[in-house]
Amino acid sequence: MNEEKISFQFNGKGYTAKKGQTILEAAKEQDVFIPGICSHPNLGPIQTCDTCYVSVNGELVRSCATRVESGMTVDTQSETVKEAQDEAMSRILINHELYCTVCDNNNGNCTIHNTVELMEVEHQKYPFRAKPYPPDNSHPFYRYEPDQCILCGRCVEACQDLQVNETLTIDWSREVPRVIWDNDVPIDQSSCVSCGHCVSVCPCNALMEKSMLGNAGFLTGIPPKVLGPMIDLTKEVEPGYMEIFAISEVEAAMRKTTINRTKTVCTYCGVGCSFEVWTKGREILKIQTTAEAPANGVSTCVKGKWGWDFVNSEERLTKPLIRKGDEFVEATWEEALGLVARKLSEIKEEHGPDSIGYIASSKCSNEENYLFQKFARALMGTNNVDNCSRYCQSPATAGLMRTVGLGGDSGTYEDIMASDLVIVIGANPAESHPVLATRIKRAHKLHGQKLIVADLRENEMAQRANMLIHPKPSTDLIWLNAVAKYILDQGWEDKEFLENRVAGLEKFRETLEKYTIEYAVEKTGLTKEELIKLATMIHEAKSVCALWAMGITQHMGATDASTAISNLLLVTGNYGRKGTGAYPLRGHNNVQGACDFGTMPAWMPGYEAVQDPEVRAKYEKAWGVSLPEEPGMDNHHMVEGMHKGKIKAMYLFGEEMALVDANSNYVEAGFEGLDFFVVQDIFFSRTARYADVVLPAAPSLEKDGTFVNTERRIQRFYKVFETLGESKPDWMIFQEIANLMGANWNYKHPSEIMDEAASLATLFSGVSYDRLEGWQSLVWPVSPEGKDTPLLYQERFPFPDGKARLVPVDWTPPFDPGEEYDLHLNNGRLLEHFHEGNLTYRNEGLTHKVPHPWLEVSLELAKERNLEDGALVRLTSPYGHVEIRVMVTDRVSGNELYLPMNTRDELAAVNRLTSSYHDIITHTPAYKEMGVKMEVLETAGEPPLPRHNHRFGNRVPQISVKVEEKWKREDFTPIEQMYEIKGDQHGEGNYAN
Amino acid sequence: MARAITQISRYQVNPEEEQARAQEEIMKALTDNKDAVLNLITLVKRLDDLKVFQAANAFIEKGEDIGVIAMQQINQPTMHNVIKNAMGAFTFLGSIQPAQLNTIMEGLSHGMKEMSRTGEKGEKQSVWRLRLRFWTPEIRAAMTTMMSFMQGMGEVFLRNRREN
Repeated sequence: MNEEKISFQFNGKGYTAKKGQTILEAAKEQDVFIPGICSHPNLGPIQTCDTCYVSVNGELVRSCATRVESGMTVDTQSETVKEAQDEAMSRILINHELYCTVCDNNNGNCTIHNTVELMEVEHQKYPFRAKPYPPDNSHPFYRYEPDQCILCGRCVEACQDLQVNETLTIDWSREVPRVIWDNDVPIDQSSCVSCGHCVSVCPCNALMEKSMLGNAGFLTGIPPKVLGPMIDLTKEVEPGYMEIFAISEVEAAMRKTTINRTKTVCTYCGVGCSFEVWTKGREILKIQTTAEAPANGVSTCVKGKWGWDFVNSEERLTKPLIRKGDEFVEATWEEALGLVARKLSEIKEEHGPDSIGYIASSKCSNEENYLFQKFARALMGTNNVDNCSRYCQSPATAGLMRTVGLGGDSGTYEDIMASDLVIVIGANPAESHPVLATRIKRAHKLHGQKLIVADLRENEMAQRANMLIHPKPSTDLIWLNAVAKYILDQGWEDKEFLENRVAGLEKFRETLEKYTIEYAVEKTGLTKEELIKLATMIHEAKSVCALWAMGITQHMGATDASTAISNLLLVTGNYGRKGTGAYPLRGHNNVQGACDFGTMPAWMPGYEAVQDPEVRAKYEKAWGVSLPEEPGMDNHHMVEGMHKGKIKAMYLFGEEMALVDANSNYVEAGFEGLDFFVVQDIFFSRTARYADVVLPAAPSLEKDGTFVNTERRIQRFYKVFETLGESKPDWMIFQEIANLMGANWNYKHPSEIMDEAASLATLFSGVSYDRLEGWQSLVWPVSPEGKDTPLLYQERFPFPDGKARLVPVDWTPPFDPGEEYDLHLNNGRLLEHFHEGNLTYRNEGLTHKVPHPWLEVSLELAKERNLEDGALVRLTSPYGHVEIRVMVTDRVSGNELYLPMNTRDELAAVNRLTSSYHDIITHTPAYKEMGVKMEVLETAGEPPLPRHNHRFGNRVPQISVKVEEKWKREDFTPIEQMYEIKGDQHGEGNYAN
Repeated sequence: MARAITQISRYQVNPEEEQARAQEEIMKALTDNKDAVLNLITLVKRLDDLKVFQAANAFIEKGEDIGVIAMQQINQPTMHNVIKNAMGAFTFLGSIQPAQLNTIMEGLSHGMKEMSRTGEKGEKQSVWRLRLRFWTPEIRAAMTTMMSFMQGMGEVFLRNRREN
């Protein structure tokens, strides 16, 4: 695409800029220095710092807010411009003391330090004035120091318009303005979700990670009694800032010997945020984001920004354990691996290769998943290998593969942001995919994007939506089909797209016959008006993205419901264009990659079918073995197999199957029946209790590798620390066991595993570590030349005729446990914890915010059963029971309950209640189809959610920082006005033309 | 059958064994670096004789108190002047072009020689003879230079008066 170029003059020389670029952006691109403190590539123009003044055609303007126009004459060097910029900087320094050498933010990337230096400011024109507010240290993770705050508003802009949590504002009305949280409450008591955006974009040390304070520099631990006079002395005698900066720069350079900065990719959800980990020894100083990160820029969520200290937990497994009688005994690697190799070989020999099951990990790398499936297939001769996408996303993958050909998101976040209409079905991205949610919230708030949410629960996205629908549980397929039918009946379908790019329209149209609006009204509980409005909004939108997650995929008819979403997008031509497509939201960092790299019973890496002789021949040649021909057992089959005696042994890594799989009582009983069970993890998990051998693995921060995020984006992560104790990266453990069994593998680095995978799987043929260096990433499919594919299906769908398929699907009624189980049990995640919480409950700050989960009960039900916050109830399903305390909320309604899954406490674990019923096609458990009965144990008690949780906060939505209010203050003199006057005095009027 | 168990028997490191291993490691490091260690011991002995360690320990132990005292002493107007003047002197030296200074210094040195010769001989010259010497190129060159110096100095004086 050719971008329009504009010619203009910069300091008398001709330059070109892209249409729509601001002067500041154009200057940066051309390497012309213009100061700028409040501007940031991920934020809009904020216009508070005034340091970016330039002269345009003889008039002073802010270059951050002025777009380049053709023929414009821009001057950045004249006396007046310099004086205006100096005046702005002097005003900033009223609010900020330059004690750089003893500042924890003196790490070479402090915006104020670097700007003052580049501007060659020598002295402070106006004296520094402390603000009449103490620092706010209330939050567990960060602190605000008003005395250092320059009121640039970056933090406010990030909170209001990038994260869109709408907690921070600047109160311009008070005598001394400051940043405030909600209606001026301590940070910890506010609606702050602890995402860290504000801290990451702060251009100085006003907002800082507590882990940095007194810890980052050589002199920053100086006690305040000494530090105060030292700063006074420096200011008193300073010859000029340049000399002071020389010292602070030496100190900053020295810090590089103690502080390491290593790029990593987050392991807390499928969004794929990347950032630097700053470390000193084994201590994590902070997570530092960068605008260069392809998926997230400067964004993070509470877990990604703060939730990493589990790596240094004293509870980490550091030695192999072997079951001996009634206890586990620490063993050497030699003993443990020798035992694993011997037992697996014996069981294979005695009961056949298919008597062993292999459970892979969506938390581990692509290379580790590749190697594990190679181990299972090539060495152990079975396709019995699966990963936890079976618990969540397999139906979405299957639904997409049968309609559009590839089991991944059709585009990237760029497309979701650019879309005219986003439909979120059965997903809670604000808590489960927080950084992705920020992109939708921003587009919705600032750029007029429409948002439809279909959910049982009024989550944050639902509260923000233009339209919220609340169908009866498990009836999504019906309204999706009814809307598709209505659109076809109205003639609103994209006829050209259907004609040229889609097969199966007529058959599809016929099978929709019964999905009339009336039928949908009866079954879903939605009104006719709602259904027609839905269809109309989709019809009127120029581009539509559909996002879904477990609210669709954890049902008995999950693959069909996913298919129905894809069908609706096909009917309306919403594939293959910018701003369109299907986006199943992957829940773990590498759910996508685990599937992509072959830990699935029917698929080799790159979704090449196990049953295809040509595919097998390719791998047989490369690996020098013969491979099993039929698909193996999936997770569900393996659990059944354990009970039926078909599965004698299991090898599981990086998965807490005992808590996370549905109907966990049944799963645990299955483990008890195994002859041999190997569990590989970083902690002694609940699953590990059933193991015969427990192998200590290393988390992502202790190894190299790659992950694939929900966009299909492959990103590298680098080793930050050496492994703790005797723990080892998972891929090394697989290789050592394989070699004990005679495999003779010799991978020295994960890059060699990726090279092998790329040489075999067509989807990744151009992937290499070199092409993924630093912040580079590749979105599969990747051609041998290294060209990636951010937006799929632009020209064809990957079927022989190049056309997508409309696949007729029918409704599967949900599992019904019987009338006595009168309450519907919905379940899912909380923002602050990940999954069962093996990592995040080990973090003090996260646990301070959410110590344990709670049961959400509607106002109606609370009234009916006489419940209040803190009441203790027992929930019983046909499969088990839990005891949990209640929070009464209008987020849920009627007889619908919400129980988060984030607990390690077996008495509160939702999967004590769920069943083994599953999606009829992919065997994903129907976690969302359960009824329970409630027994009140205590009608009142300590509320399980502390008052200092963001859910009790009071958001203050506004657009940006309201700089106009600053400009209206009596003590504010516009800089351009000052220099007009001064110009006249000097006989240099600015109105020369 | 594998029932769930949680008891972990950790290998307890025998403290004596651990100590013996540590001793072994230390001895090896010492013997590998015998010469350096012996030199270090000599150095340490001399420093200890001078009570350097005693002082350093006291200094570190009372670091905060000493820091406060030191800052109180340094943070005084006279000390501010000392530091400012020291920095001013450095700035002055930095502002001089070495080539210019060289010429001036050479002239100064040669002038001193002439001056001392005259001083030693102790001959007085008549006013008339002195007047005649004004016409020599050497005196005229020196006088012109001095006048230029005074003019430059005067320019700064006037500029500072104007600015303040």
